[in-house]
Amino acid sequence: MKLKSGFLCREVAGQWVVVPLGERVVEFNGIMTLSESGALLLRTMENEVQEEELVQIVLNEYIVDEESARSDIREFVTSLKDNGLLIE
Amino acid sequence: MAQTLDRLYSQLVSAAKVKRELLSASFELTSRCNLQCKMCYVCQNANDREGMAKELTTEQWISLAQEAQDLGLLFLTLTGGEVFMRKDFREIYQRLMMMGFILTIYTNGTLITPEIVNWLAAMPPYKVSITLYGASGETYKEVTGFADGYARTVRAIDSLLENKIPTDIKTTVVQGNKHDYDKLLDFAQQRKLDLGVVNYVSPRREGTNTDPIGNRLTPQELLDYEVHINERNMELGLLKRKDFSSSKESPRFFESGLAGTRVSRETSEAFHCLAGKTAAWITADGRLLPCGLLDGVKAFPLSKGLAAAWEELKQECDGISPCKECQGCLFQAYCEHCPARLLKETGQYTKNAPYLCELARKRKEAVNWDVI
Repeated sequence: MKLKSGFLCREVAGQWVVVPLGERVVEFNGIMTLSESGALLLRTMENEVQEEELVQIVLNEYIVDEESARSDIREFVTSLKDNGLLIE
Repeated sequence: MAQTLDRLYSQLVSAAKVKRELLSASFELTSRCNLQCKMCYVCQNANDREGMAKELTTEQWISLAQEAQDLGLLFLTLTGGEVFMRKDFREIYQRLMMMGFILTIYTNGTLITPEIVNWLAAMPPYKVSITLYGASGETYKEVTGFADGYARTVRAIDSLLENKIPTDIKTTVVQGNKHDYDKLLDFAQQRKLDLGVVNYVSPRREGTNTDPIGNRLTPQELLDYEVHINERNMELGLLKRKDFSSSKESPRFFESGLAGTRVSRETSEAFHCLAGKTAAWITADGRLLPCGLLDGVKAFPLSKGLAAAWEELKQECDGISPCKECQGCLFQAYCEHCPARLLKETGQYTKNAPYLCELARKRKEAVNWDVI
């Protein structure tokens, strides 16, 4: 999976946000807010990535068990898909 | 993960205020305008060569936007003058959209053609905000000097709405259009839009051939207008009557205009809005101001960089003392005083402004009589 082009993930006033760039605003007219870990995952997904790599990144950066990490990542990915941000 | 923009904006403002980060800004791309509104605070003629020569170039605006983004800017308003006067407006707009700003366009709408609507629809802003100066060609002639401005503006609004481009409308009330409110409200209702009202007309910041003070409503006329608005809105169920007599908050149904959104009434602060805290304004010739009205403090981002200019501007704003008379005034909750308005009305930050004082007193009396 990979993040579509035309989205920018940036930190604004301590909050991570994703905004559409240019014509992407037609399909996603809004702002998405992310946690720090969400932003880490999203920036990783600017390149093609598999779920397993995302799990390893979270396990390396945060104190969390693998099952919880995997479950949270699946939920996060589903939300990105629902909002049309991912190329599968 | 997704939330409403209003809620997110409030959240970001709260965080940005703590760090004094630049979160929102207005770029006054030009001070030239194709209309000649009698009450304009900044207007230069459409073909004013001097004004045109002073305007920042395309690249200068883009460069400032990049610097602003590095400082945290997310919400950006493009305003004028009339922004569609600039031949490079499309390029500026599209390049800013590619940078990921949440963009609002302020315009009189008269220059918006079907072609412009098409390219806006392909990359729509967060909002196009159009000022309607009246509800007929006659009123437009009286207020703006151009009767055909009305038909042009209506065409623009309808075309934007047909193309699903987020659009809102507002009016600035002056002598020449004070009788048009009901028609403007009907116009808005027919299109399922809210009608914003800019009720305060400031003395001129700069520009020529306008007379804001001579064309604004007297305090009594403005109060009558506000009472009428409230009555109409209650008739339409847009507003519920509230007992303000026991509240510290006055009824506020108006657009904030140039001076930004009022966010606090900390008595130790001169500014009750976000100007110089998380918001700023850049004039057509490149001055960084706290807001579109307040040119008493300024910094120069083109010569020293926006980051340094922003720091300087914040320090200058912090140095402005609140008006002690205003702080102690019994009618303060009914007043919309701020450093910008006091400076323009009186030439000083710390002197109360008779126009604002009288309006506040009349509003308080109206509440006592349960008119509002």
